[in-house]
Order: sequence, then structure tokens, then C-alpha cells
Amino acid sequence: MSVIAHVDHGKSTLTDSLVAAAGIIAQEVAGDVRMTDTRADEAERGITIKSTGISLYYEMTDDSLKSYKGERQGNEYLINLIDSPGHVDFSSEVTAALRITDGALVVVDCIEGVCVQTETVLLQALGERIRPVLTVNKMDRCFLELQVDGEEAYQTFQRVIENANVIMATYEDPLLGDVQVYPEKGTVAFSAGLHGWAFTLTNFAKMYASKFGVDEAKMMERLWGENFFDPATKKWTTKNTGSATCKRGFVQFCYEPIKQIINTCMNDQKDKLWPMLQKLNVTMKSDEKELMGKALMKRVMQTWLPASSALLEMMIFHLPSPSKAQKYRVENLYEGPLDDVYANAIRNCDPEGPLMLYVSKMIPASDKGRFFAFGRVFSGKVSTGLKVRIMGPNYVPGEKKDLYVKSVQRTVIWMGKKQETVEDVPCGNTVAMVGLDQFITKNATLTNEKEVDAHPIRAMKFSVSPVVRVAVQCKVASDLPKLVEGLKRLAKSDPMVLCSIEESGEHIVAGAGELHLEICLKDLQEDFMGGAEIIKSDPVVSFRETVLERSCRTVMSKSPNKHNRLYMEARPLEEGLAEAIDEGRIGPRDDPKIRSKILAEEYGWDKDLAKKIWCFGPETTGPNMVVDMCKGVQYLNEIKDSVVAGFQWASKEGALAEENMRGICFEVCDVVLHADAIHRGGGQIIPTARRVFYASQLTAKPRLLEPVYLVEIQAPEQALGGIYSVLNQKRGHVFEEMQRPGTPLYNIKAYLPVIESFGFSSTLRAATSGQAFPQCVFDHWDMMSSDPMEPNSQAAAHVAEIRKRKGLKEQMTPLSEYEDKL
Amino acid sequence: MTQPKAQFHPRFLSSRISSSSRSRTQRRACQPPAMELELNFEISQTAEFILSRSFTRVALQFPDDLLKHSTKVVTCLRNKLGSGNKVGLFVMADTTFGSCCVDEVGASHINADCVIHYGHTCLSPTSTIPAFCVFGKASISVSRCVEKLSSYVGTNGKPIVVLYGLEYAHAISQVKGALVEAMSNAKVELIFSDVMCSIINPLEDHRKSDGLGGCLGAATGTRYSLGGLTWDLPEGRGMEDYSLFWIGPENSAFSNVVLTFNGSEIVRYDATEDRLVTDVSQQKRILKRRYYLVERAKDANMVGILVGTLGVAGYLHMIHQMKELIMLAGKKAYTLVMGRPNPAKLANFPECDVFIYVSCAQTALLDSKEFLAPVITPFEAMLAFSSGSQWTGTYVMEFRDLINSSQLEVRKRPEEARFSFLKGGYVEDFEPQENEGEDNDRALALANATEKALQLRDRNPDSLVKGIAKSGADFFVTRSYHGLETHANSSLPEPYLIGRIGKASGYEDERSEPETLNEDIIVLTSKEWQGEANPEVIGSALGALPWSYCNGVWISWLHIKQNVKVLTH
Repeated sequence: MSVIAHVDHGKSTLTDSLVAAAGIIAQEVAGDVRMTDTRADEAERGITIKSTGISLYYEMTDDSLKSYKGERQGNEYLINLIDSPGHVDFSSEVTAALRITDGALVVVDCIEGVCVQTETVLLQALGERIRPVLTVNKMDRCFLELQVDGEEAYQTFQRVIENANVIMATYEDPLLGDVQVYPEKGTVAFSAGLHGWAFTLTNFAKMYASKFGVDEAKMMERLWGENFFDPATKKWTTKNTGSATCKRGFVQFCYEPIKQIINTCMNDQKDKLWPMLQKLNVTMKSDEKELMGKALMKRVMQTWLPASSALLEMMIFHLPSPSKAQKYRVENLYEGPLDDVYANAIRNCDPEGPLMLYVSKMIPASDKGRFFAFGRVFSGKVSTGLKVRIMGPNYVPGEKKDLYVKSVQRTVIWMGKKQETVEDVPCGNTVAMVGLDQFITKNATLTNEKEVDAHPIRAMKFSVSPVVRVAVQCKVASDLPKLVEGLKRLAKSDPMVLCSIEESGEHIVAGAGELHLEICLKDLQEDFMGGAEIIKSDPVVSFRETVLERSCRTVMSKSPNKHNRLYMEARPLEEGLAEAIDEGRIGPRDDPKIRSKILAEEYGWDKDLAKKIWCFGPETTGPNMVVDMCKGVQYLNEIKDSVVAGFQWASKEGALAEENMRGICFEVCDVVLHADAIHRGGGQIIPTARRVFYASQLTAKPRLLEPVYLVEIQAPEQALGGIYSVLNQKRGHVFEEMQRPGTPLYNIKAYLPVIESFGFSSTLRAATSGQAFPQCVFDHWDMMSSDPMEPNSQAAAHVAEIRKRKGLKEQMTPLSEYEDKL
Repeated sequence: MTQPKAQFHPRFLSSRISSSSRSRTQRRACQPPAMELELNFEISQTAEFILSRSFTRVALQFPDDLLKHSTKVVTCLRNKLGSGNKVGLFVMADTTFGSCCVDEVGASHINADCVIHYGHTCLSPTSTIPAFCVFGKASISVSRCVEKLSSYVGTNGKPIVVLYGLEYAHAISQVKGALVEAMSNAKVELIFSDVMCSIINPLEDHRKSDGLGGCLGAATGTRYSLGGLTWDLPEGRGMEDYSLFWIGPENSAFSNVVLTFNGSEIVRYDATEDRLVTDVSQQKRILKRRYYLVERAKDANMVGILVGTLGVAGYLHMIHQMKELIMLAGKKAYTLVMGRPNPAKLANFPECDVFIYVSCAQTALLDSKEFLAPVITPFEAMLAFSSGSQWTGTYVMEFRDLINSSQLEVRKRPEEARFSFLKGGYVEDFEPQENEGEDNDRALALANATEKALQLRDRNPDSLVKGIAKSGADFFVTRSYHGLETHANSSLPEPYLIGRIGKASGYEDERSEPETLNEDIIVLTSKEWQGEANPEVIGSALGALPWSYCNGVWISWLHIKQNVKVLTH
């Protein structure tokens, strides 16, 4: 299972309690150690950066399992837990964690409630068919900080749970069933990670069931929702009777007792405390009795309501076992036919079946430069020395591309900061392998050497994309090999980071956000390059080139030998079409009939025209296309390939600043070709096609598209003024402002151009005295209204800057270079 | 690279400047007086060279911008040689490849014994015919140059190596003398490079060459040479310890210096503009760009080897070596001979992902922005295709050094898969295990082959997308157009259609402009250069007659570049 949540909602802290329960760290320090934050900078910044796996072994008592209804063998449980980062910049780590787990513990701060990142990760989990359970965390804040009374607290919790359920309800999946969480069913826990205690209603139900002489399940229902108890009359009602003693079941039986204990502890009223504890069957060790205040409270609560047992119980009872989960997950996972032997092995989680293993991330090993391949065994067994077939992300069954056969040197179980070598790891578990790192970049599917028919497991889909880029170079030219090696390792160590090289020969590192990039570059320099100095450029934002309207005239270009002419026009694609191509709803591999149906129905295309799409580009799948509008042109099919090649080239490097094109439809209006095939070959057509694409782009009011972030900010009311002024100054605009019910906090959603976002967090923090904390995710491409062809416009300034960076001529090539006259 | 045009002195233009930009009156003014011409073209030395070696058939090779002087040079030379002997003089116009190289193929058409090469040269060794190079004498103000140089030396503490364009070689001894005088009190080490030799003797075996351009450990120190210059450094010093001072324009020779010694600080003294240029960032940018191209080349599946020279010694060996290298890297090589590459020519081979241009050092760097596929040098190819090699910053331009330095040692294949920065991940290269497997069980080879042949092919291939096809045949299979389709169902003959009449630049049914037609007419009038002509028209008019007798001079029209001026009688 994975632990997922918004940043700072207490995932790592809560994870500690679970780790402590497995005996890996001492109970006393749980919550402070943050076992899963293994890196120095994680501890320093207090945020998780990398997701960390930890395998925990528990033995449950028969007693606690007696109400477990599913199948079970023995009382031993092995939980492979992955703690994930909450900051949006690292959400690729969450994706990698979710892929290899079956259940998710969603942690929500009881005060802040469901935040943007909670929603994102929750939807991601459901997309992967991962069953969630919820824990309302930071309960201690209720008692200590806010000191709210029971009813108010209940309302807050209720709202948090409802909000989460609203998100989950939008995601209906017949196979996964109802994924909403209910406290009365035990799928919601209440926890205080820092103090290491937690409870589910089950805990209290058990306690009271005997006292009231009712069934445990019945008691649970009474402890949540519209059930009220009046101790004066000793009667349950479904409405508040209005009497002073009548209180909600939850308040009466759960909240109040805890509050009481905490208050007594905090006030050091030990004389009162011991009898209370005795009543609750809590025995303290003698040395613990000496503790005072907070420490005492923590210890008492930990003993009374240990977080581990409550959470573990919830997980064991409500999260599916691998064999159960893989039955419905196989559809999401396996790319091949769902009735072949591999699909069946995954479905049945068959340890005797063929090996199917998905490597979702690479973890840097202690000896510099090597990596563990971390993943999950879906079927079969992986053992030390096993020869495996490595199918990379570009592997196509039946081909040799992106395929390696190598042997696993060592299989390891990950235990947070340390690892333990084991002989083999059967299906359903997470595993780390040594010796495969030189063949896996980020992720891969592994299978047995001889299983040549196996299809790979589907690649992960990330919710963020690497939009922030910097160019790096080494200070000393001879360090170049070090840099190359370092970048290679960096690319491996993070699922999201992209290391590439520009046309100008600059090495580019791209990340999801400023923070992400900062961490990546730090890793690069310190860990992967052995401290060799690097120079990084200012962040570089990539733009897109598009057109505003249809070309003002049909443009023509002649081939170098003047024997061939291409006539063309450009026009913008219909709204939403570029996005549909991005999402893959429309693409080069579609059935032309289906494609033309979608185009005709949703985008108002002519049906016949939709069948005449020659290609998409750049990279054959991009959001631009060439459509054949010619009528009765001889030899046209002969030059199609050449025009397509010219288009791939031109759409990759637009006429304005050699940025990718986006949302342009090129219509081939007419073509005049030489009658002799030798004079209309690729050499004549490809460069001509490129020129005519540029000419038609330039005549159709070219525009720049800039990437825009969706920013979500949570802040108290008094900080709003500062937020607005910073946003205004940075060309951002707010489109939603909402008060969080029951809190003084406001939720603000705004659009912010990526290019303005550098230093946004710090400016915002300064302007709001640290009260506002933004989360930025790439949202869409926005057209810059200014005309890049007009000197002194903002777009022209951007174009000039890009051209300068790329080492191009400062002036754009004029239209006359591309367009020919008859 | 722009050239200053403001000089009316007869001189050699050191790089490819088209004289078409100058007006006719200017050209008149350029006519050199006989004496000056004799001096500039080193007529007496040439005559001596011819007579001393008793050559009888001599080819005179002129670059485009000097062709206009050819008749006068021939007249002068003939006078010098004396009417008594029977030396045949032949003028060769532009070459197939770079005009800096000796056109041996052209010369062999007339069975020439030797070639006299005029103008900018790379001094690449020839393979069969001896050559005498006339660099020309560009004007330079010695005093200004010395002044600039000494002021630079004053600011820079490092020792200095002085390099220069060959057209300034005539003035170097004066510069040196003046500088030593001016710098007598400064204690800065100054090294002047020498011109190797203006006579090129064919190398029977290039392997015996003394490693031109490479560094040889001599007893006294290290000898460097580049682009016809040679200099010695004292032992224990590398080029990084020196600053470079370059006298000459910003041309390909200079680019070579910058690329080769990219670790040194370089200043350029531009003699025509009389200024010191310290900013060589444009050149440094080239180095980065080349680095990118190497990365691109690593991802290539099909490689075209462009034969860019038929004269430079060892080019055949280089081509073979390249082929072997490419084959070992598991890629497919095609050898193409197409004269000077241009975008249209290369785009005829869209299946090639990268081209290797085997040519002399000074034409090797082709700016490949306009090309569909990158064009790289053999050195870059070695970096790209021999696995495990990495660029450490050194750069080798002349491929003879490559032959000498790396005799294709069988490198140990590294364990790790290759990381591609363009794709951002590991890519499989040629896998050795594939071969081993096939060798081990030959019995299954046939079965394996059929299995591969029967693989389900993608029905909707993305034709012409780079990097998918492994060979030319693969590439053609994925193309959407496979040739004319025969319509079996209609047995009736197609109706007779009358097509368009006229030229593509304006068919008869379209409005035609007479001016465009006039361009194509060659005016056969004076001894002067006339009008600009469409190369295709000249090609068809004169291409059939490779040699024509004109004004007492044989002129080769074998190779005519675009927009060349046409000399007529």
C-alpha cells in the first residue's frame, strides 16, 4: 500500500508509527525520526522528495482478527508500504508508488481538509484501481491548538470525509466497487501522527459493545452520523433531543474521552489520570509515569490507542490482498491479450506462473553511480541470479527494440534506510534488484528469459509534465564526460526529470517545477557528478507556435529546380482538437472511419475531408496536421511521403523561433509537379514543403503559445491582499476564490504563466509573511495576444530571446524567403 | 562570414566570395598590371618549379573568384617559360569539391604531370600528382599588425603562438622581425609558425606521412601542425598553455584552429579591417553544435558516407574505415558521391539519418541547419559510432590524423546500454548477443529467419519517420507510395491527353515573363564575363563538352556551381 496526501498533511510522520510497530524503530521516537525520509535534504527541508518503500511484517493476534471476514491463512501479514511525497512537483513519485501497490492510505489534515494534491493523488489512485482508506490526521491540533468542542470537531471531520467521498464518487468502477469511505464501516481512521496514536470507530465499538451489550457492528453505526445519546436517559435517538446532556454518539463516546485524557495529561493531573487509565485497561510502565506534559500525553495516547494497530487493522481489513487486487487490476496493467498465460498469471497472482515484474523507479545505491531497480512482482518469483528479459518502454512485442536479457545479481527487500538481501521474492511484493540498472532508464517490465511472447505492463501516466527547463554546462570543459554520466544517472533516479540535448548542443534538464529542478540539480552536482562544478542557466520555458486565423492568401513555393510548386494554407485547429490529439483520442493510428466520425461530430469537419488527413506532427503524433484539399492532382500520392517528411521537420521547428508548432492545420491546396519522376523526388519536394509550411504559417497571423500553471493557494483572509497583488504583478489571474467551510482559510485558484512563476513562491511568501503556500501544476497552453511579427511587442521580445539562446539569426527569416512568386 | 569588399588591389579572396556582387566597373579596376600580377601569382617561382622538374603538361587550377585572371596568368607564365619548350598549360575552373584541394581527377583528364593551385588552400597532401601552391599575397600593414600584437602581448601574460592565413605568409618574416624588435624588453615567449611547404608531393603511402596536423614527440619538444602551418612547442608544454594569435580573416581555416585548440585563448587580427577580434564565441558555439550532431548521429540507423574529395591522400582508406566502423556499430552504410552536397541533393536520400562527409579539413564543416539530416566529419563519426568513446574536448579535423591515431582497436563493448540524450533513455544498439545466439544454434537459424519474416507489420506505418528503418529496403517498405499502381480491372487503353507545354518556370497557359527566359540565354560575345546563367542550362550546353578551347586556353567546364559567371569567347 502507499501513503498519499497533500504536502504537509503528515504522511511520513504517520508512517513512522507503522514502522515502529514492526519493531524497526522505537515507539518513543516514532513521529520524530521520519524513517522514510532517507535523504539529508528531506530531513532538512522537512518534506519528502523521493518515495520510499518499506516492507513490514506483523503478527496479528487471533483476537483482533476474529471479525475478519475474508480468507486468511495464519496471522502473519507482510505489508509493503511506500511513503510518497506530497508536494506537487514530486507527484511523479506518487504515480510510481501507486503502480506497485494495491491500496492507499489517504491522509488528510483535519483542519486543512481535502486539498488540491489530495484530489490529484486520489484520482490517480482510483485510475490505477487502487482502493483507498482514509485517515483524518493531526487530531492533536483539534485538542491542543484549536480546542474545539466535540460537535464542531465532528462537523469538520464529517466535511473532510464528505469532500473525499465526493471525489471518489465521481470515479465509478464496477470492478472496484464502492470506493467511498465510511467511518462506521471502519474505513476511516482518526490519527495524530506526531503523537503516534490513532483510532477507528472499531476500537471504541469494541470497548463499548460489551458495556452496552450490543453487537460491535451495531455499536459502530451508532458512533457516527445522526445518532445521539443522552446519558441522563441512557437512550439513543436519531435527533438531538435538545437536552443539555444529549450528545452525538461520536462526541460522547470517542471525542470526549480522548479530550479528557489529553487534558488531564497536559495539566499533569496524574492522580486523576491513573484511575482513568485503569478503567481503559491501559497500563503504563513505571518510568513512563515520571513523564510530564506533552511527553506524558504522547506516551499515554500511544499506549491507549496505538496508531499502528488502528491503522494496520484498517488496512488489513479493508485493503485488498495482492491476489484479490490483481484480479481487477490486470486489465489496467497488462498490455497484451487478457486471456493469455501472462494475464492469467497476473490475475491469479500465481507464484508458480511466469515472472511479471514492473520496475517503477530506480533508487540510487550507496555506491555512487549504481541503482536498485525497485518494483513489484505481479506474478511468478524473482530470485537472485535469475536471467530476466527486460522490456523497456519502447519495446514492441516481437521486435528486438528496447529489449535486453540480463541476470539479477541480487534481490533485496527495502526497509527504509536499510536493505535486506533475500533469496527470492514471490508475487505480490515489492522488490529491489541489483544489476539491472544499466539497462533500465526509468521503468521496465521484467519477465523470464524464455517468455518471448509476454507483452509489457502498461507504462505509467503522469499527472505532471516537465515544463521547467534549465541548460547546464560544466565549469571546466574537460568535465563533460562527468556531466554526461551525471545526467544519465539523474534521468534514472527520477521518474519525471528529462535530460536532453538542444540543437545548439546545450544539455537541458527539465523538471515539473522549480523545486523539483532545484533538487535535481543538487543531486546532479553532488551525487552524480562527484561535486564537479556546473553552471546552470536561468530557467528556460519552451513555447509553442500557432496561428490565429486562416492564411490571408494561398502561398506557393517552388522547388529548387523550379519544376514543382506547392500551394498551401494554414489555419488554426478547432478548439479542443489539439488537446484531443494530445490525449490520444485522435491520432495517426486511429481507424480513419472512427476518426472522421469524431472530427465530423465534435469539431464540425467535413466527413470526406477528415479522411484526407495526411499526417500528424511533430514526431508523427503531435497536435498539428496536414490535410489534402487538392482535386485531381496527378502524382500527388508520390510526393506525399516527401511532404510528410518536410512537415515533421517544419512542425518541430516553427518559423518564428524554431519552437514546436501546435494547433495548426495545413491544407495542401494545389500541387504542380514535373511530369518526370526524377525531377519531383524527395530532394526537390522535402525542402520545398518545409518552405511552404513556413510561408503559410507566417501568412496566418502566427502567435506564440505560452505554458500556464494552475496555481492553488491556501491562505487566511488577511493574506489575500498580498496574494492578489503578487498575482497581478506576475500576469496571473484568479478564477476561483472560496472560503473553506468552518475555517478562516481561503482557497484560491489562479492561472499563472510559467515564465512568470520563477521565484513566485518566495515572492508570495514575502508578500504574505509566510502564510500562503502555492502549488503549481502545468495546466494548458495560452495564446499570447501580442503579435510576434510586430517589433517591440512582448511576443517579439520572447521570440528574440529564444532565437538568441538557440544561436539563430536575430531576425526572423522573412516571408519572401519561403514564398515564391509565379 | 562576410567579406570586406573595399579593396581594389589585385589579391586573392580567401574564402568563397562570389564576384557577382561587385559591379562591372569595379572589376575593371581590378585588372592587375602585368608586374604586380607576376609577383602576386608567383610566376617566376612557378616557372622554376615546372622547369626544374621538367613537367610537360601542367594544369592550372583557379578558384571561381580568380578565374578571371586565368588568361593573363597563362600568358605571363608562357612568356616566362620561354617559347622554346613545349609545356602544355591547361586551366581548370571550379572543382567538384572544395576549391582549396587539388583537383586530381580534373587534372588526370588531361594527363597532367602536375597541378599549380592558386588561391586559398588547405595544403592537404595529394595522392598521385605533385602540386605547387600559390597562396597569393594579401595586403597587410606590418606596423599596424605588430602594434596590435604587442599591445595584446602586453595585456596577456601567457606565451603566444602566432598563426596566420596562408595568404599572409609573405609578410610574416617582416612581422616577426618587427615584433622581436618591439618586444625586445618584454619577456614573453613568442612562437611563430612556419608554412610547411608550398610544394605538395604525392604520398605513396599516407601511413608514412609524418603525421601532419598531429603532434609528434620530437627530441626537442612537440611539433604541431595545422592547415599548412607548423610550429614547435618546448617539451612539457601543451597548447593549453599558450594563447593563439591569428592573423587573417574569419574563414574555415580559422574555424579549424578554434575547434582544434578549443582549450586555448584565441585572438584574431583582421588585416583588412585592421582590428583585433577577441570574441570567438560564435566559433565556440560551433563546437557545441557539433557536439549535438554527434549525439544525433549516435541514434542513427542508416549512415550515408559522402565522398567529399577524390584527391586528398588516404580518402579511400578513410571511407573503408568508416564503413567498417559503421558496420561494427550495427548500422547500415551507403556510400554516395555527389560532388558538393546541398540540401536538395541530400534530401534525395531521406533514408539516411546522418551523413559523414569525408573531405579535406577545411570543407569538412558543413552548416547543417538547412539539411534534413546532419552532416558530420569522420572524427565525429568515430566518437559517435565507437561505443564507449566520449568526447573529452579534443577535436581532430584532418582525417589523416584519425587514421594514424586510432587503428580501429577492438574496443571492449561496455556492459551498459547506450543512453540517448535525444530520446532521454536507453536505446538498444546492435546487440552482440544476437549474433552469438545465431551462431550457437545454426539449426534454428532458418526458423528464426522465417519467424522474423512473418512478423505482423504495423498496418499504418509512419512513413519517413527517422530512426525506425534499419536499412534502405526497410525504409522503402514503410513508404506509402510504392510506385505506379496497375489497374487490372480496366483493360481499355487510357484516353489520349495533351499535357502542358512550356517550361516549369512558366507554362504556356500561364502568363510568362520574358525576363526570366532571357536569363537562360548565354551571350557569346566578349572576352569578359557575361551575365549570370542558370547552372542547369550551362550544364546542358557545356556539360557534354568537358573541355573547350578558348582564347588559346583549355578550360574545363566539368563542374559548374550555381550562379557562376560564364566565360565565353
